[in-house]
Amino acid sequence: MPATIIKRDGTPVAFDATKILNAITKANKAVEGEPMTPTDLLFVTEKVCAKLDARALSHVEEIQDVVEETLIQYDYAKTAKAYILYRAEHAKLRNAESWLMDVYKKLTYAPAASEDLKRENANIDGDTAMGTMLKYGSEGAKFFIDNYVLPKDISAAHQNGDIHIHDKDFYMLTETCCQIDLIPLFKNGFSTGHGHLREPNSIESYSALACIAIQANQNEMHGGQSSPNFDYAMAQGVAKTYAKEYKKAFAAYMQIRGELTDGETASLTKAILDALPMRPRMAEAKAFGCALAALDYARLIPEETPPCGRAAQGQADQDANWEPDDFPKPRRAQMPPAAIRELAIAAHAYAASHAQKSTNRRTYQAMEAFIHNLNTMNSRAGAQVPFSSVNYGTDTSAEGRMAIRNLLLATEAGLGNGETSIFPVQIFKVKSGVNYNPEDPNYDLFKLAMRVSAKRLFPNFSFIDAPFNLAYYHPGDYNTEVAYMGCRTRVLGNVYDPARQVTCGRGNLSFTSLNLPRLGIEAKGDIARFYELLDAMIDLVFRQLLHRFKIQCAKKVRNYPFLMGEGIWLDSGALDRDDRIENVLRHGTLTIGFIGLAETLKALSGRHHGESEEAQKLGLEIIGHIRRRADQKSEETGLNFSVIATPAEGLSGRFVAVDRRRYGVLPGVTDRDYYTNSFHVPVYYPIKAFRKIQIEAPYHALTNAGHITYVELDGDVCGNPEAFETIIRYMHDQGVGYGSVNHPLDRDPICGYVGVIHDVCPRCGRREGEAVSVEKLKELKKIYPDVPDWE
Amino acid sequence: MPAQNSAAVQERGGRMVGKSVGFERTRRITGYLVGTLERFNNAKRAEEKDRVKHGA
Repeated sequence: MPATIIKRDGTPVAFDATKILNAITKANKAVEGEPMTPTDLLFVTEKVCAKLDARALSHVEEIQDVVEETLIQYDYAKTAKAYILYRAEHAKLRNAESWLMDVYKKLTYAPAASEDLKRENANIDGDTAMGTMLKYGSEGAKFFIDNYVLPKDISAAHQNGDIHIHDKDFYMLTETCCQIDLIPLFKNGFSTGHGHLREPNSIESYSALACIAIQANQNEMHGGQSSPNFDYAMAQGVAKTYAKEYKKAFAAYMQIRGELTDGETASLTKAILDALPMRPRMAEAKAFGCALAALDYARLIPEETPPCGRAAQGQADQDANWEPDDFPKPRRAQMPPAAIRELAIAAHAYAASHAQKSTNRRTYQAMEAFIHNLNTMNSRAGAQVPFSSVNYGTDTSAEGRMAIRNLLLATEAGLGNGETSIFPVQIFKVKSGVNYNPEDPNYDLFKLAMRVSAKRLFPNFSFIDAPFNLAYYHPGDYNTEVAYMGCRTRVLGNVYDPARQVTCGRGNLSFTSLNLPRLGIEAKGDIARFYELLDAMIDLVFRQLLHRFKIQCAKKVRNYPFLMGEGIWLDSGALDRDDRIENVLRHGTLTIGFIGLAETLKALSGRHHGESEEAQKLGLEIIGHIRRRADQKSEETGLNFSVIATPAEGLSGRFVAVDRRRYGVLPGVTDRDYYTNSFHVPVYYPIKAFRKIQIEAPYHALTNAGHITYVELDGDVCGNPEAFETIIRYMHDQGVGYGSVNHPLDRDPICGYVGVIHDVCPRCGRREGEAVSVEKLKELKKIYPDVPDWE
Repeated sequence: MPAQNSAAVQERGGRMVGKSVGFERTRRITGYLVGTLERFNNAKRAEEKDRVKHGA
């Protein structure tokens, strides 16, 4: 027998015949009806060794070949088969391991700048420890799902680029996103799983807890988190803050002007405020003052009430605990009721004005903290900040308006050094009768929102008046106002429970996108053939979505202690810890998406929908067809199958790379490094803003799981508020559901300039990477106070 | 010429800041904003480069 054998990696090790014996024994034990005695086993092993000697073989693969051959030679067919399977299985695992290890090597040793794999998602810093750790987990999970979970044809369809299963690494774990209603969550407080939080009682706590809720939910889902009614929720915190500020100021005024003791102040203030039929509220300051003036102060303050200050404390005052507070003061009982009334009216005037100002200041700080927190809590896997969104704009209460205004102003001011905040995505809800027309109560806030958006890219704008959103709208009920996830996801209709066509507590369960351009290429201009291919692919995606849904349904409330345990997801509050979540999940959406309608149309007809009316007609037919298929599937299953204009990030380059390898460079189809996003007119195609909106708007009505339309403006148009407003209004009037204006937003961190920077910073004159003197920056600071301090 | 400029300033004794510091370019992908183009994947970089402005 050989002295050494050569392993697969080429290293020599000492030959050990018992390893062959063990392998044959294992294979034999795995089969029935072919028992081998120890003597038989030894016999075969010896025969193998003899052959190795005779043929001078020493490589491990060669040895395994000889084992197979020998088993067959001596009629151990079943054992031989088991041995071959065992070998194949191990080969597969070895391949798997080497494939995965190659990925891990890239993740470990290549910098993100040179390795696209590490920049799949721009919110993850692939160069950091936690960013890399997330990628290790994610790539390992994807491999597991592909090879051990997915039906073979679906796995192949994903791998060869027919479809893209989004968030595949989370396939066995959770759902995409949720619209969180903070109002019921805050009532009576909540638990994050690591500690209980009391019901918040000030705007600062409201904003802090809003961050915590978004963060906690983020760690139980793989997509984004949104507050659909941020203004309504924060309004309650503003109201509580105002009431407290009012009471504090009222009492302070009474004490100082009435020269009362602490005890007298407390009891008198309480007696007066409790006697009123209302609580102090921002919008009702005048009515509150009237009610205060109308009180019967003689009845309110009985003559014989002893002050609870000095007299009650008695001897205690005479010892060392003497406080300046205990100076003899006129007892309030000695004050005639008319004087108390006068004092109270004056105290009210002071308190109302003071509370208004100080609540406004505190609200600004709370909103500023909210934005800062959401940009700096690196608490999502991979040291990412949560993907957060807030929708607002329709609360017309004084408190809601104060929250909106201050959030906008804090956004306009930017972060610590004036940087643009990346999170939360802000979405201003536009609605005629509420904020769209000059006579509407929140029109001023709509104007402010546009001013801020022109500077900071946020807020985006959603349109409740778009017919497909308006259909669900009931005035005054925020739950029927459409809200979007930052990425564009939308949920409102509900075939599972038509009585609950609402926004709050719902979201997407999972989504999978079609490689539409490939179907266009494969159809070779034959439209009927295109639809055949499309239908087959839609069938496959529906099957895959249901496969994933089944896995999701088997989960229990305890798998989601916050999302389900705290009752955030619709109806989950009624479930117990060990209940399956199947029924409540049915409120969510199962979604089919698509990329590259423009390239599809190019492949099918030679022109895209920005170039030709016929192409536009065909484009609408294609997306309309996908939507009809989803609607039919909904009807058939009672589940919310829906269509999304996929927010492709990693996907934008993946399909086209595979297709270019397969079909070569096809002009207008595979000749760029990306497929055009969803139904968008290609970014490279010159077109007027209004025309682009006009072309894209009808697709919003078809994509009921989400959509967005962008317009790219240069700095000049953007700096013109009328032009900006005209574009937003045009989106509204054309039936766009969700839209935004993009404009270049650059910043020089050295001199603090924010705006468009081409090659040279217009403020300090440096080029990228060049140094500038501190002297010069000091000079600039005299003109521009936002120049950072470099000393 | 940046090198000459900085040398000139240093001769006068001024401290310089900003060497090899780039500009920050905030852009939108999918609906989210991203603080720097460096984190864009290759396809999104190509797309961003191709974006043309839409006249009003």
